[in-house]
Amino acid sequence: MPREKQRDLKQDLYSRVDVYKLVPNLETCLQCGKCAGVCPVANLSPSYNPRVVINDILRGREDRWLKSEEIWRCFWCANCYTMCPMDIPYPMLMMQIRYLAIEKGYGLKYFFPFQRFAMRAMDDGLTFAPASPKGREKIGRIREDIGLSPWPEISEKAREEYKALFAMTGAADFLASISEEDEKPVHLMYLEGRITRARGKGN
Amino acid sequence: MQEARVIRPEERIRDIPERVFLFRSCTGSIEYPGTENAVKETLKALGVEAVMDPDQTCCSGYLLTCSAHKPELSLAVTARNLAIVEKKDLDVYTFCNGCFGYISELAHILLHNPAYLDMANGVVGKLGYKFEGKPKVFHVQELWYRMKDTISDKVVRPLAGLRVAAHNGCHYVARQYGILDDGGYPTFHEELFAAMGAEPVFYKERQLCCGYAVGRGFTHKEEMVQPHLYKKLKSAEQAGVELITTVCPGCNVALDREQPNINRRYGEAFKIPVIDLSQLIGLALGMPIRKLGFAANTTPLNGVLEKLGIGKETADG
Amino acid sequence: MGNRTKTAVVIGAGPAGIEAAIRISQAGFNSIIVEKEPELGGTLKQLCSSFPRWEDPRELLDRKILELQSCPAASIRKNTVVAEATSNGSGYVVKLSEVRTGKTDEVIADAVVLATGFELMDISIYGEYGYGIYPEVVHALEFEATLKEWKRGKGKPPKGVAIIKCVGSRDRSKGNPYCSKICCMYSAKQAGLVKEFFPDAKVYVFYMDYRAAGRQYEEFVREVIEQRHVRYVRGRPAKVLCEDGRLLVRAEDTLIGLPVEVVVDIVVLAPAVVPRPSTRRLAEMFGASTDEYGFIEPEPFNPVQASARTFFAGGCGFAVETPLALQQGAAAAANVIALFNLE
Repeated sequence: MPREKQRDLKQDLYSRVDVYKLVPNLETCLQCGKCAGVCPVANLSPSYNPRVVINDILRGREDRWLKSEEIWRCFWCANCYTMCPMDIPYPMLMMQIRYLAIEKGYGLKYFFPFQRFAMRAMDDGLTFAPASPKGREKIGRIREDIGLSPWPEISEKAREEYKALFAMTGAADFLASISEEDEKPVHLMYLEGRITRARGKGN
Repeated sequence: MQEARVIRPEERIRDIPERVFLFRSCTGSIEYPGTENAVKETLKALGVEAVMDPDQTCCSGYLLTCSAHKPELSLAVTARNLAIVEKKDLDVYTFCNGCFGYISELAHILLHNPAYLDMANGVVGKLGYKFEGKPKVFHVQELWYRMKDTISDKVVRPLAGLRVAAHNGCHYVARQYGILDDGGYPTFHEELFAAMGAEPVFYKERQLCCGYAVGRGFTHKEEMVQPHLYKKLKSAEQAGVELITTVCPGCNVALDREQPNINRRYGEAFKIPVIDLSQLIGLALGMPIRKLGFAANTTPLNGVLEKLGIGKETADG
Repeated sequence: MGNRTKTAVVIGAGPAGIEAAIRISQAGFNSIIVEKEPELGGTLKQLCSSFPRWEDPRELLDRKILELQSCPAASIRKNTVVAEATSNGSGYVVKLSEVRTGKTDEVIADAVVLATGFELMDISIYGEYGYGIYPEVVHALEFEATLKEWKRGKGKPPKGVAIIKCVGSRDRSKGNPYCSKICCMYSAKQAGLVKEFFPDAKVYVFYMDYRAAGRQYEEFVREVIEQRHVRYVRGRPAKVLCEDGRLLVRAEDTLIGLPVEVVVDIVVLAPAVVPRPSTRRLAEMFGASTDEYGFIEPEPFNPVQASARTFFAGGCGFAVETPLALQQGAAAAANVIALFNLE
């Protein structure tokens, strides 16, 4: 990797990533590593490291993360946010990095399943309702058996308005605008297998 | 150190409410309807009326974090849902950590960013709603803890030394202020267990995430979520845990429905049933077993029910 | 005023207060040193060894106490606290109260030196570190007692010790945003001592930085790392867990970018240095102000002056190490002497 020249270090801070201004205090990061210490993903695949992500974003080097497999692994467990001594809302940063990646066409394979779910949710007013009639039947049986209505009570009005909100906020357009042709490949930043602690006992 | 991080239950919920708006959870109502039942029955037993509204939609938080929704949509959806609650002049109680985390976080963003509030009200205004920020957002676990002594008094099926472990999940203890217990080492669920006669178990990986949020259970199941859950379940098994409770249907799906897959993959024989904390409370307060809807659980509860002296014959309801 | 010799009341008999009282008395004025505990010495009494020269603090303390006792103009009041103070135009009428009996008496203070010292923050709010949950997780002063035990040849030898710095310092979330200054040095000292007593023990210090700004300080820390083989890991630990009776510390080694987990028997936490609650009360009594943390605010152009006739020294102004406490005590004394000479 070529040495970074002084003039290449971007100075516009991180507003490229934090478009929604949800992470005002990113520069308070002390790089202490508490987030990475508790991150379940970092503990399983160390090439993902929230602390390094923050550092790279502050120095304008987020490109390598946009093209990576790693950012799609974050669980959003928010343990980093719980532990952070500066209260940096890292999950909000991760959410926005993912939007940026999608915009540029990276990682779409991790987006398409949810694109489908979202389009169904738009009609159902609920999320993750099974699509198949058999699935719905099974749920209906269990619910009736315990004395509930066969399907969660959600009104026609609710469903219509939910769908209307998708149209009004541009969410429907967003979902429709991304297709498989836009996809660019993502790759792992490092080789797999660098796990420091073996699973199970011992070590 | 601005606002206090951990506050006493009486500060969080000063007076026991008479009526609350119960927020329907998508995953809860679909995957584990027994949880919804248990929450309603427990509220009734504690003298609290649960009001639901079919006009309420999904909180939209899950797909927001999966990058399928943009924040504008979720902010508008939250404004609309909370406007419905506001019109009833109630506070909103959820029984899903996910709903709780997303709604409270989004409401916080709306109320601290005038531009976003204007945008959201502008959109939902066209449908006839206006969000002013009055309803407070709670999770039922907070009410259960607040009424711990009342629950303890009403126990009719003491949990007979059952070894129960708490899975707190992530999105409640991740809040930075105004929560009931320390995110570093929460013990308030265990206090509830002890109040109902069970034996709380602290195992090493107790605070590990379930791994299912943000849809990683769909996209990265073999890669990340299964090795992760394996660590957690192994640690629970080694500590002799007989039952795990959750406060989030999402976590419940992860811990419950993945067990057979993990057993197959790793050659293990985990059979630790996973139920919602509200179902455990419902069980202790004498709810009919059938109504608790354990038929929806993948990992069967037979061992636990037997230990408590509730065989299939006594399953009333 | 006439021929009455001026008297300074020094509140607190740690190294700062003792030094102030000695110099004031040696200059020919009276000093009354008021100490709430039964013995003089403040926090210094609890320490095992010192930086940067591994000297025994007891030697320094005994010497200073002897010097104080040999000042005829110095009056030592142990087991005593300041109950009240009222201004009399040229000083204060101070009511002293004996802690055990409650008996009170009054003295005239023509000047006051506040030297109430510091204490350690309550770190039980850091549930992730297990303080108050696992008995083998201790804070720095509790560990000094363990070190003293080991020095005497008593106590159980550890196989592993982990020292975690910045617990409650440099923390805007649950703790205090400031740096507590002395922990980097005393943690190095503690780590070095464990290795001295038990060369085979595994000793880790988890740090974000190590601040060694002082004469011979950097060399001290490097000696601990290079000669005594203490492993310094750059990363603030995320969790302390318990398994099979031992403690696990989970952190990230940020210099190599990998999560690490170490297994030890004892975890020592270095809590933030905070002023004692009595400092704020006493400051108010004597017309001084304290900042949002309770440390005494100096007057604009005099770093040891708190108000017209009140000076301060030592930990009550901010975290400070022993030699600096002595320096500040002497500086406060100089101010008192100058004040008295001017009048």
